[in-house]
Amino acid sequence: MTTHKTRSKSTLAGLVATAAALCYGTPLQAQEWTYTEAAKPYVGTTIRVLDEITPLQETMRKLVPEFTEMTGIEVEYELLSHGDVINRGQADLFSGRGYYDAVMLHGLQMGPLLSAEVLQPIDDMLHNTALSNPNLGLDDLIEPANDSLVNYAGSQYGFLTWNYNQIYWARADLINNADEQAAFEARYGYPLAPAETMQQMRDIAEFFTRKSGETLAGETLENDFYGIVLEGIPGGTTFTTVWEVFMNNWGGGVFDAAGKPNLDSPENIAALQFWADLWKFAPPGQAEYSLIDVPTVMGNGIAAQSIAFSDFVLGVDRPGGGSYAGKFVYRGIPVNSNSPESRSAGGEPSLMALSKHSKNQEATYLFMQWMVDKDTQAKLMEMGGGGVPIRRSSFDLEAMQEAGRQSLYKAMIQSLKYVQAKPKTPGFYEIDNAMSPLVQQVGIGSMTAEEALKEGQRKVLSICNDCLLTD
Amino acid sequence: MNQPAMSSPAATQGPIKRISRQERVSVVWTLVLVAIAFIVLFPVLWVGSFMFRPDSAMFARPTEWLFEPTLVHFRYVIENGFIGYLGTSFALASISTFLVVLLGTPAAYAFARFKLRFRDDLFLFVLATRMAPPICMVIPFYMIFSSIGLIDTYFGLTLAYLTFNLSFYIWVMSSFCRDLPVALEEVAILEGHSRFAVFLRVVLPLLRSAIVATGMLCFIFAWNEFMFAFMLGGQQVKTLPVAVPELITTQGVRWGPMAIVGTLSLVPVMIAVFLLQKHIVRGLTMGAVKG
Amino acid sequence: MKPLENRWYPYALLAPAFLVLVVVSLVPFLFAMFLSFHQINFGRIGDFAGWANYSKLMQDERTWNSLWVAAKFILIAFPLQFILGLGGALLLNKRVWGRSVILPLLFIPTMMAPIVVGLLWKVMFAGSWGLLSYNIVERFGFLQGSSVFSSPDYALIALALVDVWQWTPFMMLAFFAGLQALPVSPYRAAAVDGATPLQMFIRLTLPLMAPLMVVIGMLRFIDAFKVFDTIYTLTAGGPGTSTEVPSLLAYRMSFEQWRIGESAAFAVLVWIGFFILCSLFYHVAKKKLNAF
Repeated sequence: MTTHKTRSKSTLAGLVATAAALCYGTPLQAQEWTYTEAAKPYVGTTIRVLDEITPLQETMRKLVPEFTEMTGIEVEYELLSHGDVINRGQADLFSGRGYYDAVMLHGLQMGPLLSAEVLQPIDDMLHNTALSNPNLGLDDLIEPANDSLVNYAGSQYGFLTWNYNQIYWARADLINNADEQAAFEARYGYPLAPAETMQQMRDIAEFFTRKSGETLAGETLENDFYGIVLEGIPGGTTFTTVWEVFMNNWGGGVFDAAGKPNLDSPENIAALQFWADLWKFAPPGQAEYSLIDVPTVMGNGIAAQSIAFSDFVLGVDRPGGGSYAGKFVYRGIPVNSNSPESRSAGGEPSLMALSKHSKNQEATYLFMQWMVDKDTQAKLMEMGGGGVPIRRSSFDLEAMQEAGRQSLYKAMIQSLKYVQAKPKTPGFYEIDNAMSPLVQQVGIGSMTAEEALKEGQRKVLSICNDCLLTD
Repeated sequence: MNQPAMSSPAATQGPIKRISRQERVSVVWTLVLVAIAFIVLFPVLWVGSFMFRPDSAMFARPTEWLFEPTLVHFRYVIENGFIGYLGTSFALASISTFLVVLLGTPAAYAFARFKLRFRDDLFLFVLATRMAPPICMVIPFYMIFSSIGLIDTYFGLTLAYLTFNLSFYIWVMSSFCRDLPVALEEVAILEGHSRFAVFLRVVLPLLRSAIVATGMLCFIFAWNEFMFAFMLGGQQVKTLPVAVPELITTQGVRWGPMAIVGTLSLVPVMIAVFLLQKHIVRGLTMGAVKG
Repeated sequence: MKPLENRWYPYALLAPAFLVLVVVSLVPFLFAMFLSFHQINFGRIGDFAGWANYSKLMQDERTWNSLWVAAKFILIAFPLQFILGLGGALLLNKRVWGRSVILPLLFIPTMMAPIVVGLLWKVMFAGSWGLLSYNIVERFGFLQGSSVFSSPDYALIALALVDVWQWTPFMMLAFFAGLQALPVSPYRAAAVDGATPLQMFIRLTLPLMAPLMVVIGMLRFIDAFKVFDTIYTLTAGGPGTSTEVPSLLAYRMSFEQWRIGESAAFAVLVWIGFFILCSLFYHVAKKKLNAF
């Protein structure tokens, strides 16, 4: 645990370690613990689990029958699209219907759901030696994502199951081009390489923004080419990217240390301004680009760099993914060279949470535990040909050694060091909904960063004064 | 129903000379319509080509007008159960349309034919049932349905579909009913038939074509409905439009399967329109009685 | 002597439909009204809240903005749908070859699931990667530095045109059915009098079609206000809030934020607005156009 600077919140992980140690203390029991044995009382139970559909979960779906075979617990593992899993999951939890025993939640949903008290802490089961796999090894989970996600008020609310994280994504073929490298160094005074800092990212964006008719890497352009592409639609993760990747890296953020809105701070204004300046080097349609458009733009050779979710690139950077597959390079989220100490990366660590209304809590717990189990995770990576790990040890797996993916996996590791779950804010969606049109307007130039954040501060204050959930 | 079919005003000019001029004109109009249809349908045709396009050729720059066709997208659609959702959609849309016709036809007829107390108020009430934005109504529906166990049932969704289709049906049908000749009914009554028998044996046959046309529109509304189907449905009752967003994944839209599912969802409705349009065109004849 | 008149018979015909409408529409609506007067904390019904939800809603500039956006949207889309639908119907009403094939084809946009319509136009006009964006808009430098759906000036117009594309066939089919149902004899009489086609259209077709036009027009008007999927897919309300229609606002309020009380209050307010508008129009149309 000491490798991670999360001492403040590591009490629970400590407890887990202690529990694990206790189990080892009674070797007989520890050696005999199996899913089959633990599931004996629940054979024949059917549980319903709601998860988001991405290729990662589609691979998981193929593994689920193994769990059923091992335990006799039937699992209806339902996959829905991102928006739908939020809509239906929240409806089920908030209304108390209790159809789903476990629901996949994004970190940002935790504030509203915890405040509505519809989630079931799993501590009792975690400490129940009959139920808990003594070799679960939760201290292997990626931190600080896990710690900041699943814990609240001294309880644990589920397991980190998905670890969406943002990375820096660029065109290696352009960056490695000798002519471009020479021209870049002549113009900016340092060698062209994948951006390590925000300022380099900006320079590269400016450098590669070309009009049709100009030359790019030795070829005459038929269309305009852009230095960077970012998500820009009012919604999705546009605002959270501004928040986590830019404001936080500038030493700002939505809230101050006490949880009060602090949007119009000088740091935030500078960060938003920087983000909006990048729009000058972005495709004209950026304001309508959603999360899923960004990979399309990168995958069709329209832009040179991006900040994107790392699992998204898997759809493009694969054999058959288009003519630019294999021509990309990745890094962790660049650091702001003016305030390297406030380093941050964007992401959306997500958990499988137990519903308070579940009537099959133990059986569901077993399934949730199985999902994060080392063996399951190893099989998941193997079957999916890699992926986005939730365990540090997963990066050492055979399936994660594919040469073409090393740049991406290293970028993930780099980003994941700084990915935290969203603060637990009951009004999260309202804040996001108030802010995203404002920042977008700064991007398209119809508002200044200062105006937008003044307005944003006013709006967010009308939503909440003490915005963070406190025990 | 046996009234002459020459209802179209255009068809009423007699002499042979005129007809030959009209034949000529009809070529022009046909070409105009075909041109319009092509322009209108161009986006559909383009996306339709995604059914056979490899992923790399979809948004390639420069645009790849020709490409090597692939069938991988069909495999995905079949393996992921979309064909089954088609069945659910069909069953649900059929049941709900049937109910709408069953309940709505007598009501529409009553509004058109009789002097009712508070007729205007009642008629506006019918319209009023579709005025609240469905997006705001879905959660109240969900809360009611979940407390009485109607979520994810055909019965529940059929009920929910009635909210938007019944009012539509009654309003449109009653404007058709107004054109019915009252004389036939009066004669039948004087001959001693009961009122309900008159409705069944005289009115309904006259209305058949209008029922088909309006019912078809209701079917399409039910077929494409998303909000209710999504929130009030589930694993048991899952319609095609609800399955479509599953093709929008974090690794981008699965455009090929999307194009297939989109096309698939058009086919049954198109066949229906093609087969039923005769009734629409003929339904028109009932107006001729009035003239 | 009116043999069809009977005190209870018409009501018996109405009863089943009304019973169903009361159960499936009125009851949920009354429940929504109940919710709108209560404090709802993420699905849990709390204390009576008086007008709090309403006043919060009405103080929010986003609410008024969305109504204004909807008004503009309908003002662009509705007349075009109406005129093009009528024009198409008149065209179909000519003697054309292959009508039985053209009719279902022209009807395709209305038959498509709305979410697919949204994606379809994304494929056409998405900035830089959309087919027409890339091959036309950007190649010829229209909309410098912007794209169709991210332009503050054109996004709403473009969305309205998508709606026109989607719903004109519906109007066309309905009007076509109406045209086919027109009585023949007035046209014969007019032809004898030597009336021109334009005169016939204005003096005969329009008045005879008026009742149907009013009904279809009102239904489309109400439905145009509910537009959601295409806008959600294409702009999500942007740029800024310039295309944020009420349904989009209500979607976020209901499904993301779970402000159920306010969302219910919104439903009630919209309902009242429509009810007033439609009643006024109904009575005018009844008097002036002999509709209904």
